Amino acid sequence: MNPANHKKIDQAFGTIHAEALQRRNAFKTAPVPKIHIGMATCGIASGALETKKAFEEVLAERNLDARIHTVGCLGHCYAEPVVIIDHPDSGFPPIFYHEVTAGKAKMLAKLFIEEGDPRFEHVYGAMEANDLIPSVMDFSRFNMEKRIVMEKCGYIDPEDIYDYIAEGGYAALVKALQSNPDEIIQAAQNAGLRGRGGAGFSTGRKWELAQKAAGKDKFVICNADEGDPGAYMDRTILESNPHQVIEGMAICAYAVGASKAIVYVRAEYPLAVKLVTKAIRQAEEQGLLGSGILGSSFNLEIDVFQGSGAFVCGEETALFRSIEGYRGTPRHRPPFPVEQGLWDRPTVINNVKTLASIPPILNKGADWYRNIGTENSSGTAIFSIVGNVVHPGLVEIPMGVSLRTLIFDICGGIPNNKKFKAVQIGGPSGGCLNEDFLDTPVDFDSLTAAGAMMGSGGMVVMDEDTCMVEVARYFLDFTQHESCGKCTFCRIGTHHLLKILTRLTKGEGREGDLELLEVLSADIKNGSLCGLGKTAPNPVITSLKYFKDEYEAHINEKRCPALMCRALTAFYFDLDLCARGCDACATCCPVDAVFTTRNRKKGVDQELCVKCGECVVACPPEYDAVRKVSPPDLVPIIEKPSEKT
Amino acid sequence: MPKILVDDREIEAEEGSTLLQACLNNDIYIPNLCYVEGMQYPSSSCRMCFVEIKGQDKPVAACVVTVRENMVVKTETETVRRLQRSALRLLLSVHRVDCKNCQANKKCELQRIAKFLKIGLKPKKLEQYLKEPEIVQEHPCLDYYPNRCVLCGKCLYVCRKQHGQSVLTFAKRGFETIISFYGQDDESKFECEGCTVCVDICPVGALIMRDL
Amino acid sequence: MKAVCSQKGWKVDQERLKEERAILKQIARKFTNFEKKRQGLIPILQMVQEELSYLSAEALNMVAGYLEISKNEIYGVATFYNQFRFQPPGKHPIKVCLGTACHVRAGDIILENFERKLKICDGETSDDREFSLERVACVGCCALAPVAVIGETVHGHMAPSKVEGLILRIEIEKEMQAREKQKNESGQS
Repeated sequence: MNPANHKKIDQAFGTIHAEALQRRNAFKTAPVPKIHIGMATCGIASGALETKKAFEEVLAERNLDARIHTVGCLGHCYAEPVVIIDHPDSGFPPIFYHEVTAGKAKMLAKLFIEEGDPRFEHVYGAMEANDLIPSVMDFSRFNMEKRIVMEKCGYIDPEDIYDYIAEGGYAALVKALQSNPDEIIQAAQNAGLRGRGGAGFSTGRKWELAQKAAGKDKFVICNADEGDPGAYMDRTILESNPHQVIEGMAICAYAVGASKAIVYVRAEYPLAVKLVTKAIRQAEEQGLLGSGILGSSFNLEIDVFQGSGAFVCGEETALFRSIEGYRGTPRHRPPFPVEQGLWDRPTVINNVKTLASIPPILNKGADWYRNIGTENSSGTAIFSIVGNVVHPGLVEIPMGVSLRTLIFDICGGIPNNKKFKAVQIGGPSGGCLNEDFLDTPVDFDSLTAAGAMMGSGGMVVMDEDTCMVEVARYFLDFTQHESCGKCTFCRIGTHHLLKILTRLTKGEGREGDLELLEVLSADIKNGSLCGLGKTAPNPVITSLKYFKDEYEAHINEKRCPALMCRALTAFYFDLDLCARGCDACATCCPVDAVFTTRNRKKGVDQELCVKCGECVVACPPEYDAVRKVSPPDLVPIIEKPSEKT
Repeated sequence: MPKILVDDREIEAEEGSTLLQACLNNDIYIPNLCYVEGMQYPSSSCRMCFVEIKGQDKPVAACVVTVRENMVVKTETETVRRLQRSALRLLLSVHRVDCKNCQANKKCELQRIAKFLKIGLKPKKLEQYLKEPEIVQEHPCLDYYPNRCVLCGKCLYVCRKQHGQSVLTFAKRGFETIISFYGQDDESKFECEGCTVCVDICPVGALIMRDL
Repeated sequence: MKAVCSQKGWKVDQERLKEERAILKQIARKFTNFEKKRQGLIPILQMVQEELSYLSAEALNMVAGYLEISKNEIYGVATFYNQFRFQPPGKHPIKVCLGTACHVRAGDIILENFERKLKICDGETSDDREFSLERVACVGCCALAPVAVIGETVHGHMAPSKVEGLILRIEIEKEMQAREKQKNESGQS
């Protein structure tokens, strides 16, 4: 390494860094309130655009001087749209507001921005410790997290490269360019970083293999083809802090000797596509990508490829085929991508989270990273926890935290006083675990041992009202639909699994079905060509293992214990509770299945009822007359008065 | 030339050849449907040619294994047979078993494999799922029978090999996957010459020259 | 319990055909932004769908011509991916999310309700081409489950009873626009 070169790199970056700091300081010290609005997809879905418009309108109307700072997502999806208002003149610390609708925004603009009253009843918490308002850091949803990958998400503007640089961004790339590629690979190995795409292969080892692979043209691919239904952290990261991923890619490319890289992102994520494309352009403009990066001899070009919606393309060999312009079917491995990947060239393919972990590792050191998490799974894990929990959203925690802590302490447990039943981890390839596993630490090996897998980090929490047979059917419906159709076991086997499960949920189960499910699942697992097929039966295998009684109830008694399977349940109104003359249920019924009895109470026409459950919601709580039963023949006969002629 | 041990018999294999090819060359039959001699990347999609190799805990498809000196291979273990039978039953569960009226009768690979594995052609426990229509006549002179097709892809391979590109393609996905001749009915740049390589290689009589 | 679904074919709409031809011309001009290489296939198909809102047979022909790949080959690739449509969508495409979180919160009932109200099945377009209905794997708004997307707008915390209101709103808007148009026209004359 040439020291003169180091100086050149330092100088080139110094100029950009100084500019970034200057802009940051000007923003920070400006004596006006700052309104930070979370504008990632989930924020926008909850109305963040209207919220922003409302702030703008009131600010303009009342001639108020305040800056609106659009940021990414903090991961607190339950609280969207999230707004943080930093109003130094008011004497209050920066305040976190949740569910800021347009109306609330207008009110806050008037009362807090203009008059300095933070409206305590709407405050969620303060962003820093103070004497006036409890800090969000007192809440377990905040203080039990450990943010490395998502550290800056929700605090910086993803569309402004200076925001990232001012927060220490691209310093790791500078460091990398001033070191030997071997040192970087060594750092990744020493950190114990394992691939966050699911399988958990050592990242350092992968890079080493790619670096040593023969051939000049090498590729780095960032796999953002996040297809698991229920996982959206990759999207959030790309929408909230794309530069950290780009920086990770650049470091990886430098380490393995690649000069071309591709971000493979789902076309279903238009905002992520837009923001990552913009971020690449900004990095090019600053000389952080392109030829002769920061005055060094390292060149890197990054393209964005939009995945066209095929779950199997998350499988690396299938992903290559789709970039090459073919049907995205996987092929047998070996040869592994590090030897023969895209266009048969050595290719490193890493998940978004893996690449975003690289800059912090280089900045803070491999030992620092290694000390987070567990012995064999270092660092943090990001989960998107959804389903029946009080505080759903994205959670980044050190590896090794137990499922119980994650679900009950961090995410607030199960809402509506329901009981916990199961947690599904790892998406369609993962498994359903029951409460016996709540003390399982979350790390690669423990989850795999339990029959689930880390997968991409989707976690769906289910309460007692969830039927495990139906959940298994749902996942098989997904994998069956997404199977590429190439190999026999996956193409036909998953179809049979789905058909059997569908029969069970309709009460058409037969003797021998459970054995058939077990045998077929085992064969599909052992016989399939790629990871999709090999893991597709996992939801069936685990639910069959931990919830067999539910399967048996479906077959032997035609009963759904969780009262979920619609063909096996029925609604009726308890005539002792039903209020005479009340029409709440009848008006809301989308199919006019509710009729009035002779004494002006209600009955359900079972032929018409689609079991949507709207009447349960509509029935006034003081009556609470709607009952749901399984099997359906438990419904008392309530005679429908014949139509008046 | 590497020597390998297959079912306790020593055979000589050509350097760099696949294990499946080496076995077939030495008259050791391993059921297979999608393999064509000389393929650079065998598709390994039929999942029939499983064998067990000493040192590996699970059966592997012999078409994607390159022979190595002193490899010890078993082709008829219980695990191997279970997977092969399971794969065949799956294929038969979507197959119109109507051998009497099928041109491939008696030279059909499915019949051969079923006989070899000692199982019947009618799957007992699995339900049958057949496609509509029975015959697709998209092509000017070829009839395609989706309910016979095992989607081995050999027709695509030989057509491309012969002509540089293929008249046939896989279309759709997953369980719906079919062989398609989309656009063959109107004038297109690349026209089928009716060379019948695809018909000849089809292991099950899914492609038939139409009597014109 | 399945809703009644229309299975009717497409009425050939002359105006629409004319419009499509104009778009195809535009598409032909845009081809030059793409390299004439196999790897351009999927980006080109994405561009075509973006412009035309679906892949018509004629458009596939043009792509085949430009890339010098057989039409059949292109059809094989396009039918593999969920993204590509071979029928024009409605003016108000409705996507109902059936991701895991939405499923647990009964997204399928929402879909069924749309099917019932619009009298079309998942994957179909209404006869007047106002609405099309599609189930999607996950739109990534799991915390808002169940979710439906109409046009570009995400509707979170859906309920079966909200379905009718959403459709009604679109129909009222349409009617208001028509009236507005009529008013303007009569005002001008």
